[in-house]
Amino acid sequence: MNKELEHQFVTELENNQNIVHKVCTLYTNDRDSHKDLFQEITIQLWKAYPKFRGESKFSTWMYRVALNTAITLYRKSKRTIKTQDYESVIFKIKADEYDETEEQQLRLMYKAVKQLGDIDKALVFLYLEDKDYNEISETLGITEVNARVKMNRIKTKLRTILNP
Amino acid sequence: MMDGLELLKKDWQKKEEHLPKLSYNELYTMIWKKSSSIVKWILIISILEFTLPHLLYLLPGITESMNIYDKLGIKNISSGLWVFSYLVVIYFIFQFYKRYKEISILDNSKELMHKIIKTRKTIKYYVIFSLSMLFFTCMVITVGMYLNDNLIEVFSQNGQKTTDIKPEKLKMIMVGGMAIFSVVFVAVMGGVYFLLYGLLLRKLNKNYKELQQLEV
Repeated sequence: MNKELEHQFVTELENNQNIVHKVCTLYTNDRDSHKDLFQEITIQLWKAYPKFRGESKFSTWMYRVALNTAITLYRKSKRTIKTQDYESVIFKIKADEYDETEEQQLRLMYKAVKQLGDIDKALVFLYLEDKDYNEISETLGITEVNARVKMNRIKTKLRTILNP
Repeated sequence: MMDGLELLKKDWQKKEEHLPKLSYNELYTMIWKKSSSIVKWILIISILEFTLPHLLYLLPGITESMNIYDKLGIKNISSGLWVFSYLVVIYFIFQFYKRYKEISILDNSKELMHKIIKTRKTIKYYVIFSLSMLFFTCMVITVGMYLNDNLIEVFSQNGQKTTDIKPEKLKMIMVGGMAIFSVVFVAVMGGVYFLLYGLLLRKLNKNYKELQQLEV
């Protein structure tokens, strides 16, 4: 691989690393696993980079590779889960930014989303990232109608988790 | 109450500033690390599965014990089996290579999972084939032993007398032992195989099923 390609890739990745971090945040529960998954996604992105021809935006292309790695290629490590410790860092919420009930609700929502299955998480992630149903369906390989149905089911599921 | 997910979305987009930020150099070193993805593991295990049984023949002890086929009078059958199995192994390696090459991270998730499962299936058929061959070979040896009249001589070295047990009884013990050994050996190998891939692909299978169920 030539130097220029390396430089181009790492620069693009540096500018868009948030996407990868957000996927890792959803799919892992502690800092070591976060690093592990980030590492694996980076390797997969780099391996696939020569095939990236700029037809789509670099970031759009990243979503697919990152999610595929998280739900298909990555083997979850059997590390002990230190959820609280980790979440308090990643989801650091400044108290004065929110009123108390909203903060409480958000905390519950994040916890609920963390409990979803891998596929549900992927849908929620793309939804939170403001992707439309067309892109969601193309990324996961399901029809748009099914993506909508599934999303509605997840909303119901989350509602029951919040208000049992 | 505001839709929980909408609330989350608003918050999610504000979170960006709290995410970790890796430097150019940190990212640069990362691209040269080794992958530990499921596909990589399937490749490594499969290559081992293809090569290990054949490496056994390189051990001097094993080739010597192949003379037993000759002594048992089943040399023709075993040579035939040997040629046949090599042809089939070559076919499987070709198929496996083709499948492996098809796997692309740029496919949609469902397609990607489907291709990985297909690749694994090729290996599964290969393992079933080699276990059957192993079992068949063991059975041929067992039958060869049974039909052989000078069995004790074949196995005892330099014609020394090993035990006081009656030859008839000893023969039955040897044939029975061989038969039991064949069954247990094949069962254990099969068990190890299914455990190995079962654990490796548990998550992927679960997610694939979930995507498939959506289409019903």
